[in-house]
Amino acid sequence: MIPDYYEFCNSAKIVSGSHAIEHIGYELAALGASRPLVLTNKQLLELKVATVVLDALKDTEAEVVAIYDDVPVDSSVAVVNDVARVYREKGADAIVAVGGGSVLDTAKGATIVLTHGAEDLMDYRGAESLMGRRAIAFIAIPTTAGTGSEVTSAAVIKDTERHVKMGFTSLSLLPDVAILDPRMTRGLPLRLTASTAMDALTHAVESFSCVQANPLSDCYARAAIDLIREHLPKVMAEPRDEQARLALANAAMLAGAAFSNAMVGIVHAMGHATGGVAGVPHGDAMAILLPHGMAFNLEVAGDRYGELLLGLAGAEVYASTPREERPAAAIEAVRAMMRTLHEQAGLPLTLGEAGVLPEQVPDIARAALNDGAMSMNPRQPTLDELTELLKGAL
Amino acid sequence: MARRGWRTKRAKKALTAVVYGVLGRGLVASARLDDRVRDEVRSWPDGTVVTLRIAPFGPQVSWRAASGSLEYLGGAEVASDLLVTFKSVDDAIPLLLGMKPVLGSFAEHRATVRGDLAVAMSLVRCLHIVEGYLFPDIMTRRILPHPAKRRASHLTAYVFLIFRTASLEGAAS
Ligand SMILES: [Fe+2]
Repeated sequence: MIPDYYEFCNSAKIVSGSHAIEHIGYELAALGASRPLVLTNKQLLELKVATVVLDALKDTEAEVVAIYDDVPVDSSVAVVNDVARVYREKGADAIVAVGGGSVLDTAKGATIVLTHGAEDLMDYRGAESLMGRRAIAFIAIPTTAGTGSEVTSAAVIKDTERHVKMGFTSLSLLPDVAILDPRMTRGLPLRLTASTAMDALTHAVESFSCVQANPLSDCYARAAIDLIREHLPKVMAEPRDEQARLALANAAMLAGAAFSNAMVGIVHAMGHATGGVAGVPHGDAMAILLPHGMAFNLEVAGDRYGELLLGLAGAEVYASTPREERPAAAIEAVRAMMRTLHEQAGLPLTLGEAGVLPEQVPDIARAALNDGAMSMNPRQPTLDELTELLKGAL
Repeated sequence: MARRGWRTKRAKKALTAVVYGVLGRGLVASARLDDRVRDEVRSWPDGTVVTLRIAPFGPQVSWRAASGSLEYLGGAEVASDLLVTFKSVDDAIPLLLGMKPVLGSFAEHRATVRGDLAVAMSLVRCLHIVEGYLFPDIMTRRILPHPAKRRASHLTAYVFLIFRTASLEGAAS
């Protein structure tokens, strides 16, 4: 796929491996930093996940000047400002963020405050409007394999007082280094593993069929899908298989880089809306809605889905499926994957199972239609079409 | 050669300024004539100033939203709550003339946004509707997500746009 015009950037250095975190001292030094603030949450400390990073930092020239573990489930402006305050007070020169999407988003928000001296983060909302280089070193260590936040240029931060969600996209939000280490994800419960993997799969599939798909994002998306097909079943069978865990972490990172550049579409638009209206967790919504979104896009993105059959079902199936049957077979491959995850981990198959009520559908449809991700989808639905689509997923 | 390139650029900017004027008044008219645009504008915080600009020095066009209607602020220097900046004049022209979808320009990183992305999305939906009035179907069919369902005729909108008389409002609804 070669669009008339495209841009692609994935500037984060990827450090991936079974003891990758032990290299954090070198990575900080290479960035010219020696006084990191470690950003994480209490649960990750209790589960001894974040402590792996703290232990690794003990054996370096760097001095941890603060451990900030008060990050809530949803990143908020108040927390972002507080992190920046502690960073300044302690004279830190780097942020090491250890956590899932909310920790990484909080870190990204703090880098904006610290770089631009933001009094009110609200003034810095927008897309690609932050100018200048980031002033501080930033290392991201994801503890889930799903969001791909460690390589995306976007952050969402809530202003709980003014009740608004602020969106930021800027290449200056990309971490300098992303460290993928199986010790960060090997203890994840199977249920969460399954739904976050489906989120990553959705990033790959949607980026591959969205309006900004390009040769580079395609490479990342294909590689992500291959890794998920091959290694998700291994992790579901043997959760402590470190190679397979590392492969899923890589898949999430690759899919993150793909969608950060090529965007996501209708599945995410419906997913954001389902989360907002009915509180369905993001990964669950992705798993349920992916085949429905693909079916809706089939008439315009069928050829692209046909190509993805190779990754989704493997070379044997791809080769033995006639070209014209490949798009539908790709959707069926996603459905088959979901049925397996439903049996293995209890992932919901329908919106109804996920707790969505029929009377919530109109609100979800309206919110989805106005969601930013919808504008990147290759086919634009009407409100009626969207309502029907959601009813089909109930 | 370089001199000619510079002249072409200046001509393009002049053209942009003219289109801004038409689009600027067209959006004000649509906010009165078309309930879809009116609903979008009502969803913006009262007093919101939105601006379209060509980087770095313009030309630009701005509107202020107040109690559900829009005020055309022209090319004046204003404090914008939502600033959409096209990276170059070549990014703006195809879109302003209805030859490319506005949404596509965001997807292609041709424009940057400072401000609330939700309002930016809403503005884009408004611009699509306005372009449905301003340009013939044959053009907008390629750029609009759905064939433009007009709430007023081309002619009504055009007359409204030229004379800007509020009396047409009743006739159109
Ligand atoms: Fe996602």
